[in-house]
Order: sequence, then C-alpha cells, then structure tokens
Amino acid sequence: MKKVLVACGNGIATSTVVASKIKDRLADEGIQATITQCKLLEVPSKAEDYDLVVTTGNYVGKISTPIVGAISLLTGIGQEEIFEKILSYLK
Amino acid sequence: MEFMYNAFNLLLDAGATVLLPVIITIVGLIFGLKLSRAFRSGLTVGIGFAGILLIIDMMKENLGPAAQAMVKNFGIKLDIIDVGWGSIAAVTWASPIIAILIFAILATNIIMLLLKATDTLDVDIWNYHHMAIVGIMVYFVTENVILGILATVVMAIVTFKLSDWTAPLVEDFFGIPGVSLPTMSALSSVIIAAPLNWLLDRIPGINKINFDIKDVQKYLGFFGEPAVIGLILGGAIGILAKYPISDILGLGVSMAAVMVLIPKMTSLFMEGLMPISEAAQNFMQTRFKGRNFLIGLDAAVVVGNEQVITTSLIIIPLTIAMASILPGNRVLPFADLAVVTFRVAMVVAIARGNIFKSIVMGLVAMAAVLLAGTATAPVLTELAASVGVNIGDGLITSFAATSLTVSYLVYKTFISNLVISIPILIIILIGVWVFMKKLSEKRTQILASQQSDK
Repeated sequence: MKKVLVACGNGIATSTVVASKIKDRLADEGIQATITQCKLLEVPSKAEDYDLVVTTGNYVGKISTPIVGAISLLTGIGQEEIFEKILSYLK
Repeated sequence: MEFMYNAFNLLLDAGATVLLPVIITIVGLIFGLKLSRAFRSGLTVGIGFAGILLIIDMMKENLGPAAQAMVKNFGIKLDIIDVGWGSIAAVTWASPIIAILIFAILATNIIMLLLKATDTLDVDIWNYHHMAIVGIMVYFVTENVILGILATVVMAIVTFKLSDWTAPLVEDFFGIPGVSLPTMSALSSVIIAAPLNWLLDRIPGINKINFDIKDVQKYLGFFGEPAVIGLILGGAIGILAKYPISDILGLGVSMAAVMVLIPKMTSLFMEGLMPISEAAQNFMQTRFKGRNFLIGLDAAVVVGNEQVITTSLIIIPLTIAMASILPGNRVLPFADLAVVTFRVAMVVAIARGNIFKSIVMGLVAMAAVLLAGTATAPVLTELAASVGVNIGDGLITSFAATSLTVSYLVYKTFISNLVISIPILIIILIGVWVFMKKLSEKRTQILASQQSDK
C-alpha cells in the first residue's frame, strides 16, 4: 500500500482539509493508501518513509521523495489538475 | 419556558465537554448541515476538547511542580506555563457565547464585502477563534455581552484589513496570488515589523547588513521537531528543578509526549469544524458570484518558505534565552515554540528575506508576545479554569489569544475607560486605513507604469 505524507504549517488545519479531500478522492478511485499528517518542519526527517509528500504551500526543502504542492485543494481553483498529479504517483 | 431554563442549566452544569457538542451541532444546523452530520461535527469537537483536558492534566502533574521547583531553586521566575494555542482555542470554542461571536464575525465579513470595504472572503471558520477569544475575554472581565461582541467585531475588521494589506506581500514574496491570510497569529507581527523595517532601512550601516546562513536546517533542524523541543526543554527544566536523574528523563519524555499529542487533539477540532467551514464557503461563494476575491486561507500555506523556516529555527532557541532575561517576563515558552514559524512568516516577507532584519524584527515581535502573555495570564487562567482547563495553582498562557500584539491592544481598549480608549481606537483605525489606501494607490501606479514600460 502506498503511503502519503500531508504537511502544513502546524500539521493541523490546512493539512486536515487536504488530507480528507485526498482520502475521499482515493476512495472514489478505489485506490488504497495510508495518509499521515505532519508539520512542514518535520518533513525532512519523515519524508523518506513515504511515497509522496503533499504540502499546502510552496515547500522547497531538499528531499528525495516526490512533492506535490496542493494549495489548489484549499482554494478550489485548478483542483482537478492537482488531483491528477497526486493520483499519478499513487497508481 | 421553565423546561428550557432547566435544560440549559443542566448543560451548563455538565461542563464544556457536554456543552461543546451541543453548541457546535446548533451552529452546524444553522449553516444548513443535516442533523446527523452536524451532530457528528459536534461530537468530534467534544472529543477533541476531552483530549485537550487529558493533556493539560498531564502537564499539571509533570511540568507544573517542576516549574515551581525551578523558580524556588534558581529564582528564574518563569511561572506562567505556555500550554499552547490549541488548548486556548479549546477554551475559546467552549465559551457559552461562541455561537454569537462566530455569526458576528461572518456578518462583519459579509457587510464589509457588500460595502467593498474588504476584498478578503474569510470562511476559514477554524481561525475565527483568534477573533472570538478577545470578545470572550472582554465579556469575562466586563460581564457585558455587547462589549464582547463589539471587541470581536473590531478584531474581525482589523483582521480583514491586515489581510487585504498584506495580500501583495503574499503574492510577491511567497508567490501565491489571489489569496490573503486572515490568521491573526501571523498578521499580528506585521504591526511591529512594518514600522521597524522602515526604521532599520534608515539607519546607516544597519541597512547594509545581510548575511546568508548556510546549513541552519542541517544543524538546527531538530528545533523544528516538537518531540525534540519537548524532550530537551523537559530535561532542562528537570535539571533546574534539581530532580534525580530518573525524574529528569521522565519529565523529558512526558514533555515530548505533550508536544506531540496536543496537535493530535487539536486536529479533532479542525476535523469537526471542517463540514461547517465547507457549508459557509458554499453559502458565500454562491452569494458573491462574479466578484473578485482574495480567498482567506490559513497562514499555514506560507510557513514552508525556506527563509521562514531558517529564521524560525534561529528564533526558537533565542526566544527561550530571551524569556529568562527579558525584564517583566514570566512566561515559560513551551508548547507554542512549535508554531513560531507563524509569528515570523510575515516578518520575513516584510524584510524581503533579509535574515538579519528578520531575526531582529522577529525577536522584537516575540518579546511583545511574551510581555502581553504575562500581562493577560491571570484573566486567561481564570477563564480557562471556568471551563475545566487548569494546571493547579499555576498561571497559563500561549503565544496566541491576547498574547498577540493586535489582540492585546484591542482587548486593552475594551477593558479600559471606554470614553477615552474607543475614540483613540477609531482615530488610529481610520488613520492607518487612509495611509494604507494611499500606499496601495501608489503601488497600483508603479505597477501600471512598469506595465507601460514593457
């Protein structure tokens, strides 16, 4: 099963919104994955255990795991594109 | 009628863990959620509150006595414990007047949008607690509901305007257009950083300093991990409390646990409130179709910036050091060291990424947080105790609520002699508003002339 790390400033607010949107979408697509939330500052120490990191802002840390910026999932503008991108890593 | 009265009293007697699900369910119903969904929201929030209470109890048993022993042993008078913004947000949501305040904030936003007095569409209900707590504290002190509502409305106006004014920074520096950040924990530092930045730019010599600190994330990165902050601080406080070595280690691990568990409990609040936020968003976006908005988002979207992280990693240890030497401070920084990034995000944007200026202005902003936290701790502690959040004899605070400079000033205005303080508040608001309007007109002109040059 693929593992996704969703990160935002405090690991609470925006990451909860994004994580639940991804969860719903994955359920619709029939894709199984575990989703974990954390703070952006924890990303460098946690990222290597995951297949994909999704952040709610522009994150520019140096990690080897692929990153998708998902601010669109908060504003609702350009949402579909980001979903496609996320799904492409999890299929 | 008597039945209603009895039912209401029964709920009040049952305490916040029972009252909270009821209040949130009602708020959900008003926003048009189905009963089952509204109730699930309410219950989730109630569970989050119960979780916060557990963690606070853990701090009460472990950190409380250790902090007091530290004060006795070394005279380091840091006896006000920072229990984290999440705990204080829980107190805010548990207030009996929270439902009124939520609608007052939403109504303020709608009216300002209709009058074109703001461009920020703020349905981020989650962050309404920053505005609500000021009204709740004013209500707690003055026992006047109207004053409480007014204080929250003023907080809302200030929040939306600061969001409007800082939106160009969010676009230019962080590269996120069409968005503003009505999150007071981030905005508050602006009123210190903006004038200070102007001043620093005019001091010969100082205005030339800029350095790039390499590898901060590599060497100080551990300060970004809440578990590690908790472990180190807990251990250090254990040593200062002159505990035996086994207890020092125990305190370290317990405090690491607190740092990791508080956000987990707080996220239940977010989970419960999310359906309500979504309902509010749908409501507003259908009402204001075709209007160009700045969509209000949580400031979490900008704290991932590299300079913000670097600055925070330097400011976190400096804040701990500053707390012990800053005259008048009694706050023991703890749980909210994990969210220093929010307090410095806009500072870094105003400094345009200049690390030297960011650190200087960030420290001044943090000093203001510590002092306002010290000043308002007695009232906040009493308010928290009234809904069951207490850590024994000690005082509590956080880096949020009335510790934030803007929130402190609004709170102070409403508990002072109103005949004098309200006119001053109005004059300042109008003055800044006019000044900022001129500035933004200038910006538009410059942008326009740049366009025509191309």
